[in-house]
Amino acid sequence: MADDFSTKSYLVIDDFADMRAAIKGILISLGVTRIDQARNGKEAITQMQNKRYDVVLCDYNLGPGKDGQQVLEEARYSSLIGVDSIFIMITAENTREMVMGAVEYAPDSYLAKPFTKDLLRTRLGKLFERKAHLTQVNQALMAKNYSAALQALDILIATKPKNLAELLKLKAEICLTANRLDEATVILEQVLGVREVPWARLGIGRILLLKKQFDKAQDIFAQLIEQDPNLITAYDWLAKAQTAQNRFEEAEETLRTAVALSPRGIKRQQTLGDMASSNGHHEIAETAYDRAVNLAKHSVLNHPSLFAGLAKSKSANNKHAEALKVVGEIARAFPEQREAAFYAASTSALVKSHQGDKAGALAALSEAEQSLAQLSEFSLSSSHAMEMARTYARLGEQEKAAKLLHQAIANNHDEEEILTEIVQLCREASLEYDAETAIREIQRGLVKTNNEGVRLIKQGEFDAAIRLLSEAAEEMPGNRTINLNAAKAIIMKMDKQGATSGEIQTVRRYVDRVQSLAPNDWRLADVIARLRQLATKGRTDG
Amino acid sequence: MDNMDFSDILASSIHDIKNSLGLILSSLDDLIVNPDNHLADPRQASLLQHEVQRANSNLIQLLTLYKLGHEQLTVRVTDNNLDDFLEEVVANSQSVCKALDLELSHHCDPSLDGYFDAELIRGVLDSTIGNARRYARRRIELNASREDGFLVIRVEDDGSGFPAALTGLLDPPPGEPRDELNSGRTQLGLYFATRIAQLHRNGDKTGRIRLRNGHHLEGGCFELWLP
Repeated sequence: MADDFSTKSYLVIDDFADMRAAIKGILISLGVTRIDQARNGKEAITQMQNKRYDVVLCDYNLGPGKDGQQVLEEARYSSLIGVDSIFIMITAENTREMVMGAVEYAPDSYLAKPFTKDLLRTRLGKLFERKAHLTQVNQALMAKNYSAALQALDILIATKPKNLAELLKLKAEICLTANRLDEATVILEQVLGVREVPWARLGIGRILLLKKQFDKAQDIFAQLIEQDPNLITAYDWLAKAQTAQNRFEEAEETLRTAVALSPRGIKRQQTLGDMASSNGHHEIAETAYDRAVNLAKHSVLNHPSLFAGLAKSKSANNKHAEALKVVGEIARAFPEQREAAFYAASTSALVKSHQGDKAGALAALSEAEQSLAQLSEFSLSSSHAMEMARTYARLGEQEKAAKLLHQAIANNHDEEEILTEIVQLCREASLEYDAETAIREIQRGLVKTNNEGVRLIKQGEFDAAIRLLSEAAEEMPGNRTINLNAAKAIIMKMDKQGATSGEIQTVRRYVDRVQSLAPNDWRLADVIARLRQLATKGRTDG
Repeated sequence: MDNMDFSDILASSIHDIKNSLGLILSSLDDLIVNPDNHLADPRQASLLQHEVQRANSNLIQLLTLYKLGHEQLTVRVTDNNLDDFLEEVVANSQSVCKALDLELSHHCDPSLDGYFDAELIRGVLDSTIGNARRYARRRIELNASREDGFLVIRVEDDGSGFPAALTGLLDPPPGEPRDELNSGRTQLGLYFATRIAQLHRNGDKTGRIRLRNGHHLEGGCFELWLP
C-alpha cells in the first residue's frame, strides 16, 4: 500500500502558498516523494505539458485566470493527463454548486476543504484501486475499441464488486457512445427496476431521442426536472428534444432556466445565444454570448464563433461600433487559428451591411469566401458552411445561401441536429429555399444509393458497388455515412479477394475524412479495426 | 440585491475561516505526530484538534442551512458503497479520536449500497461523531444496515446516553429548533441532521433522524434513516 503512494508523481495546484505547503506536508507524511507545485492554472498547464503526473490535486479557486474546472478541461481535452491519472478537485463550501454544474468533464473525485491526512490516504488508496481495476477498460476506450471495453467491463461486473453501480453506469454510457441502444436499454431498465435513479432515467430519455421518439423523450426530461429542478443536464436534453420538434421558443425558455441555475457552462450559454438570436430575441442572445465570451477567456474551449455570436447580437441591437470592436478582438484572441479570419470576415460583412456600408460588407464577404475556400482544403466542417450560409441569407444572397444549404443537407442527411438548424435558418431568414422538401428528396436519393450498393455487394458485384458508393462519396465528401459505406464496400471486397495497398490507401482516405469530420463517430472503431486487420494480414502474406 | 451581497460576504468569510481552520488542523497534526516535539500535555493539543474540527463542522452546518433557507442548496444523490463511505468518515476523525483515547470503528455488510448526497451526509456524521466524542467513554461505533426499506446509518457511543428529554421527542422530527431541548448536545446539530435527512426522498418516503439509547453499545445512538 505504501508503495502505491511513493512510486507516483503528484502535482499540487493552489494559489495560496500556505495551502500548497499544507497539502505537500500531508503528501510527504504519506510517503510521497515526487511532488511539484503550481500557483495558478497557467503554470499547472505548462507543468502538465512537460511532465506526466499520476495524481493532480487542484483547488477549484485559483484566483484570476483559469479556475480548477478549466484546468481539468484543458488537461483532459488536450490529453495532458492519461486515463490512468487521477484528478482530484479540492472544493470549498462556496464552490459546491459551481462545480456541480459542470457536465462534460468530471474529476475522479471531489475533496472538501479542510481534509485530514487520514481522509486523503483513504481516498487515494481507493482511487488507485479503482483505476487499477479499470485499466483494461480504459485502454480499450482510449483506442475507441468499444467491444473490447464492454468485454473487459462484463468480466468485472460478473464478480459483483463494491462499485457495481458505478460499473453499470459506465457500461450504459459506453453502449450509448457505441450506439448499442438495445444493450443500453437493458442495463438502464435493470438499474431502474431496483430504484428510480435519475442518471438511468436520463439515459432512457437519451435513447428515445436517438430513436427519434422526441415527444416521449421530452416527457421523460420534463419529469426529471419536476422531480429535481436542480438537475442541470436534464434541461440540456429537454432543450434538445424541444428543438428536434421545432419548438424553438420552448427550447429557449428551457435553456434560460438552466443558465439561471448554472451560469458557468460555456456551451450552454452559446446554445442559448444561438437559439435566442434565431428566435429574434437579440437582447437575451447578447447577454448569453457576452457571458460565454467571458467564461471562455481562459478556457481551452474558447472559439471564434463565440465572438461572432456576440458581435452579431450586438449589431442586431444596433450597437454596431461595439460589434466591430468584438470582431477586431477575434484575431487577437486566436492568433494561430485558421478559422479566426473566416469568422471575423463573415461577421464583419453582416455588421457592415447593418450599418449600411454596402461596399465594406461586400469586401468582407469576399474575404470570408476566400477564407472558407482555404479552410475547406483542411477540413469540411458543417459549422463553417452553416456560418457562411447564415451570412449569405442575411445579406440577401438567396441563391448562394440555398446552394450552400443544399450541400450541407447532402453532407449531413442523417444528422438531425444540423437538419433542424437548416430548417430553422430558412424560416428565420425567410429564404425561398424549401429545405424540408430538399431534405426529403436528398434522403430518398441517398437511401436508394445505399440500398443499391448493398444489393450489388450481396450479388458479389464489388466493383460496381464500390464505383457507385465512391462516386457518391466524391460528390458528398462531407457525408460520413456515404464515406463509411464506400470504405466498408472496399473492405468487404478485400476480405473476399485479398488486400491491395492501393485499396487500403483509399479506405484510409475515407476513414481520415470521417475522423476529421467527427472523431467520435461510433461507426469508426469497427472500420478501423477491420482495416488494421487487413493491413497486417497483407504484410504477413508478403 | 441586499441578500446577494450578504450571501457573498458570508460565503467568502466562511471560506476564509475554513481555510484557516484547515491550516491549523494540519499544523496540529504535524505537531502531534512528530516525535521530536515534546509537549508537556499532548492531550491539550488533541483537545485543540477536536475543537477545531467541531468549529469546522459548525461552519459547514451554518452555511448549508443558510443556503437551504435561500433555496440555493443543490442535493446530489449518488450511489454509495457504505463500507467505503464509512471507512472514509472514520478515517477523517480517527486521529482526533486516537488522541482522545477513543476507539472509533465501523462495520457493515461490504456489499451494502445506499443512495444519498455523500458530502451532506458526511457533514452530518462528522458533527455527530464530534458530539459523541464528548460523551463516549472508550468507544464510538458507526454501522449501517437496510431496515424496512430504509438505509439506517448509526453513530453509537458507550457513554451515559441521551437525556430522556431528547429520545423519542424527535419522532416525529421537529421542523424548527426547539428552545426547550437545551442540553449539551447542540440543537444546531440535530436541526441540521433533520433538515439534511428530509432532503432525501424516494417515492413517498422521506428521510428522518431518531435518537435512542443502548443499541449495540450501551450509550447514545443517533440514527439516520434514508429512503
